[in-house]
Amino acid sequence: MSEITATTEVTTYDDSLLSVRSLDAGYGDLQILEHVDLDVADGEYVTIVGPNGAGKSTVMKSVFGLTTYMGGDIEFDGEAIEGLRPEEIIHHGIGYVPQSDNVFPSLSVEENLEMGAYILDNVPDDAMQAVYDRFPILEERRGQKAGTMSGGQQQMLAMGRALMLDPDLLLLDEPSAGLAPDLVEDMFDRIDRINDDGTAILMVEQNAKQALRRCDRSYVLVQGKNRYEEDGDALLNDPEVRKQFLGG
Amino acid sequence: MEPYARGRRLVRDQPGLVVVAVAALLLVGDLIGKLTGGGLTPARFGGFVWDGLVIGLLIGLAGIGLSLTYSILGFANFAHGDYISWGAFSGWAVAYLLAGIDRYAAGGLLLIGAGDGPAPGDVGVSITNTPLSIVAGLVVAVAFTVGVSLLVDRVVYRPIREADGITLLIASIGVAFALRYLIVFFFYSGRQGVTDISRVPSYDIGGVVINAHELTIVVVGLALMVGVHLLLQRTKLGKAMRAMADNRDLAQVTGIPVEGVIRTTWILGGGLAGAAGYLVVLTQGTIAYDLGWLLLLLIFAAVIMGGIGSVYGAIVGGLVIGLASRLSLIWLTGDLSSFAEPVAFGLMIFVLLFRPEGIFGGVSTA
Repeated sequence: MSEITATTEVTTYDDSLLSVRSLDAGYGDLQILEHVDLDVADGEYVTIVGPNGAGKSTVMKSVFGLTTYMGGDIEFDGEAIEGLRPEEIIHHGIGYVPQSDNVFPSLSVEENLEMGAYILDNVPDDAMQAVYDRFPILEERRGQKAGTMSGGQQQMLAMGRALMLDPDLLLLDEPSAGLAPDLVEDMFDRIDRINDDGTAILMVEQNAKQALRRCDRSYVLVQGKNRYEEDGDALLNDPEVRKQFLGG
Repeated sequence: MEPYARGRRLVRDQPGLVVVAVAALLLVGDLIGKLTGGGLTPARFGGFVWDGLVIGLLIGLAGIGLSLTYSILGFANFAHGDYISWGAFSGWAVAYLLAGIDRYAAGGLLLIGAGDGPAPGDVGVSITNTPLSIVAGLVVAVAFTVGVSLLVDRVVYRPIREADGITLLIASIGVAFALRYLIVFFFYSGRQGVTDISRVPSYDIGGVVINAHELTIVVVGLALMVGVHLLLQRTKLGKAMRAMADNRDLAQVTGIPVEGVIRTTWILGGGLAGAAGYLVVLTQGTIAYDLGWLLLLLIFAAVIMGGIGSVYGAIVGGLVIGLASRLSLIWLTGDLSSFAEPVAFGLMIFVLLFRPEGIFGGVSTA
C-alpha cells in the first residue's frame, strides 16, 4: 500500500458496499489499470473523472467482469466478485449500463425491459411499473422498437433495463454521451432521483463539472491510476484539479 | 407536365430500375397473352405456382436455421446443407424400418435399400400407406439433426466461438465435407428412389393436381413456420434469441445465458434443417447424399435475398426463389429448362442491386 499512497491521495474506507483494492486489469495482455482502489458506500453517488484514455470505463467494466482480471480484490456486499463473469455478477445486485449500443434495437421497449429481468423466472409487474413511473415516455412507447427511439429515450430505456432487477449498485458509463445539450441536465436529474431512492451509483463521466457537482465523492483517474479522491465539490474547487482536468 | 418530369427523373436516376420494370411488364404481358391465347393453360400455370410454393416453403424452412445461426453466431454455416442431408437419411432410415420391418431384414431397411436391399416399391412408404412410419421418420429426422448440430457445435464451433466469421466459415466447410461423406460411408453415393407414390391420392383443384405428399409438406412446413414465429415473438427464450442477434455483448451484461441461447439456436436451426431434408425427399421421391448441399445454394440465395439474419426474410426469400425457379419454366422450355435455377439466382442479384440489405434486411433481426 505504501507505494500507492506515495503517488496518490486516495483514502480507502471500511464497510463499503463495493470495495476495490489494488486492482490490476486490462484487455488480453494489455494492462490498463494499476493498483486501483475505489469504494462505493451503500446508497452513495460516486463518479470517476479524468482525461480520455485514463481507464475510467475500464474500472467499471472490471467491476462487472468484462475485462481481463490481473490481480487485486473486488468485494461487493462482503463477497469476493473478482474473476466472475457478468452473468454471475448480475445476481449479486449490480446493474451495468454500457456507454453505447445499450438497447436491443429490434426489440420493443417492453421486450427490452423483460430482458433486463431475464434471470428471474417471471418478470415482476411492479418492477416494470416502477420503471414506467420513473420514465413515463417508456410506458407511452412500450410497443415501439427501441432502435427507432431518440438517443435520450434509448438512454432512459437502457437505465430502465438495468433497474428491472432493483440493483444495489448501478454502473453508468457516460450517460450523457451523445445526448443533445438540453437533455443532459434532465438526464443528470433522473440519475439524482435514482440515487435518492436508495440505489448506489458509480458513474464514469466525460462531463466532469456536472459529475463533480452532483456526486457525493469522486475519483480522478490518470493513466490507469487513481490520482485523487475527494468530495465532488472539493475536487471541483481544487485549483490543481481544475487546472489539469477541468480546463481552468 | 408533372408526371412527365417525374418519369424523366426516374429514368435518369435509376435507369436499371426502369429496365427491370419494363422487362417485368413485358414478361407479365407475355404471360397474360399466353394464358388467354391458349399457349399456356391455367391449370399448367397453377401447377407451376404450386410446385414453386412447395419447393419455396422447403427452402424457406431450411433457410430459417441458416439465418438464425448467422445472426446469433455471426457466421455462414456451410454445413447447414449437410444437416439437411442427415435429416433426410436418418428420418427415412427409420421410416423404412417401421414400414417394412414385418417383411424385410432390419439392416437393408435401415440403409434405405442400399446394395440389394428392398426396393422402394416393395416397402411402399407413403403418407397414405404408412402414415405412422412417415410421421415417426419426421420426428427422428428432427431429433437426429438436432443431435448432429449440437455435437458439431460442441466439438468444432464452441472451441473457436470468439474467432472471426471467416475462420468459422472455413471450419464449417470442413464439417460439411465430413458430414457428407459420412453419409456415403454408411449409405451410398448415388441417388435412389425412396417413396412409393403409386397409391398416393392426388386431388384436382381447378385443374391443378396436388398430391397428398405435397399437401403434407405444405401443412407441416406452415405449422413449423408459425411455431417459429410464436417462439421468437412470444416466449422469453425467443426474445432472448432476438436480443442475442441484436447485440451479443449487451445480452451478456443483461444476464442472458449466452451459451444456453446458442444451444437453443442450434436445436431450432438443426431441427428445421432436418425436417426440411426429410420433406424434400417426400416431394422428390428420391434421396442422395448431396441433396442438402445442392439445396444449400438455393437456400443461401433465399436467405441473402430476404436479408441475411432475418427469419421472415428467409421465408419470403425461399418462396420467391421457389416461385421464380418454377415460373421461369413457362419460358424456359426444352433444353433451356435446366436454366431454372440460374434464373432464381439472377433474381437474387436483381433484388440485391436495388436493395443491397435484402428484402427484410435492416428491418428486424431474427
